[in-house]
Amino acid sequence: MAIQDFGTMMDRKRAGAMNGNKAARAAREAIYVACAAVAIAAFAFAFTDPFVVTLAGYTCAFALFALSINIILGGVGEVPLGQCLFFGVGAYGAAIGMGKLGLPFEVAVLIALVLSVVLAAIIGVITLRLTGAYFSIVSWGLTGVAMVAATNLEEITGGPLGLFGFPPIEIGPLQLSDPQTYFAVTATILLLAIVFLVALRRSPFGAAMDSVRQNPHLARSVGVDVARVRLKAFMLSAPFAALAGALAVPYTQIVTPEVFSVANTVDGLLMVLLGGAQLVVGPVIGAAMFTLIPQAMNLDPNVRILVFSSIIILIMMFAPGGLHQLGVALRDRLGRRTDDDRSR
Amino acid sequence: MTIAAAERPVVSARDIVKRYGGVTALNGVSLDVEEGEIFGIIGPNGAGKSTLFDILCGITVPTSGSIRIMGSEISGMPPHLIARSGVARTFQRTAVFAESTVLENLLFGRHASFHHGVLGRIVGSKSYVRDQQAFQDRVEEILALIGLDGERHRKAGVLAYGVQRRLAVGIALMSDPKIMFLDEPAAGMNGRETADFIALIRAIAPGRTILIVEHDMAVIRQLCGRALVVVDGKPVVVDAPHHVLSHPEVVTAYLGADDDE
Repeated sequence: MAIQDFGTMMDRKRAGAMNGNKAARAAREAIYVACAAVAIAAFAFAFTDPFVVTLAGYTCAFALFALSINIILGGVGEVPLGQCLFFGVGAYGAAIGMGKLGLPFEVAVLIALVLSVVLAAIIGVITLRLTGAYFSIVSWGLTGVAMVAATNLEEITGGPLGLFGFPPIEIGPLQLSDPQTYFAVTATILLLAIVFLVALRRSPFGAAMDSVRQNPHLARSVGVDVARVRLKAFMLSAPFAALAGALAVPYTQIVTPEVFSVANTVDGLLMVLLGGAQLVVGPVIGAAMFTLIPQAMNLDPNVRILVFSSIIILIMMFAPGGLHQLGVALRDRLGRRTDDDRSR
Repeated sequence: MTIAAAERPVVSARDIVKRYGGVTALNGVSLDVEEGEIFGIIGPNGAGKSTLFDILCGITVPTSGSIRIMGSEISGMPPHLIARSGVARTFQRTAVFAESTVLENLLFGRHASFHHGVLGRIVGSKSYVRDQQAFQDRVEEILALIGLDGERHRKAGVLAYGVQRRLAVGIALMSDPKIMFLDEPAAGMNGRETADFIALIRAIAPGRTILIVEHDMAVIRQLCGRALVVVDGKPVVVDAPHHVLSHPEVVTAYLGADDDE
């Protein structure tokens, strides 16, 4: 739970040990991050098959997109069906910046990130007055507009064929065309994003988001500016999606109007639901499964949708909080059993 | 207990009218609530009590009329700003943050009074540490008051209904409000829960002004100095509860409610 630790911290009986607990938690979390960094390095060295390593890199990029979706879904409780708009802005930003304007990749991406935040601010001010299905539908509609624009502005976007044939993509000395480097870069960015989101959830703004998601009326009555919190969350989620879109380009090597397809958003939403919206790394777990299962089972893309739809239905029935919930339930059950033993 | 309104009322409404299309929900309601009073708003179902309540705390904008809280006009003010000016309310339904623990619920209640930036929190500035300490003291005080000391780590959603209501009052108390609006706080409570609740409201009342919308006449009779009766969107009478309840128009409204609606 997002602010559980913050809440526990307030426990007066433990107030004396507060700093000790905090330090212990920080140390534990530093170890997690170090382990993840080692795992990233180990994976990059252990796997030599360029296909596997590149796909892993792309999975990390898409996991970043799922995290962006979850800032809205798991954060403030709206369903962002238009989130692929920002993904597309990132992808086209990188492609147009590099291909048409001759900018370095990182400069093009930075511009795209700024653009995505500005766009989110404008869209948010207009659509976030609407909530529930209205916000979802209007934002989805805007992606349709973007798709039409991308298809018809041939001078800029290359039209329906899209943009391709980029110069070698690099960030400073790092060649993203090299599979190992590509994976290491995307995985590191993903790791940093997770650390940031964990800190965000524990912050007062994280608490405000959680209060808005659970009960906007009550949140308002304790002084939370609900519209502002929603807008800030939306503006925060946009650059994550844009970065994901840009980082997908070295893998896809082409950007077409299809990036604005709602299918993209739905893939991201499925990842969030698979892994669980109330766990920061839930969407990452979901993204990994989303990539691994079709590969392992060698599924046809059409069958894939069928399989995932069925899985989602099962998850909604038996673990509505996402798959990690099963782990939590198991832990609780085992924990309770040991408590009972003790009390006997 | 004074029956007449005070010189300087804390909550003051003048000629409140609210129309939804062709339906007039409220038609010319005025009231004055003085400082330190526990004021009841009663009336049959559909009389417009809840609409009046939502207008008084700024959630619903009236078609016409003015509302002053502690001397300032609040029409058109966003609800979160009204909340930050020392007004707290509880809700009839969904009164708590169900997915969070009792402690986290109280933490959410602090939002209005939390002003520390990222830097102050990271380096642990003096004012932050002091506020943190004051906050912990306040949490303990409120947990004891609402009788949830032992339940602090339980999820609010699994608590019994009456207990959730007490927690809702605890959330509202976190900002140390001068004015509290309680929306049917005793609805659905059993006799014992209601008695506990009345004791709780009495305990927190000193130094605050409290407005209650309520169906349960026992609650109104035991808590309120004065009560306003609203029937069909119109104010009928403001008086001490035992006078109000024997008022002929009120009796007709309650007993004849089936025919009217």
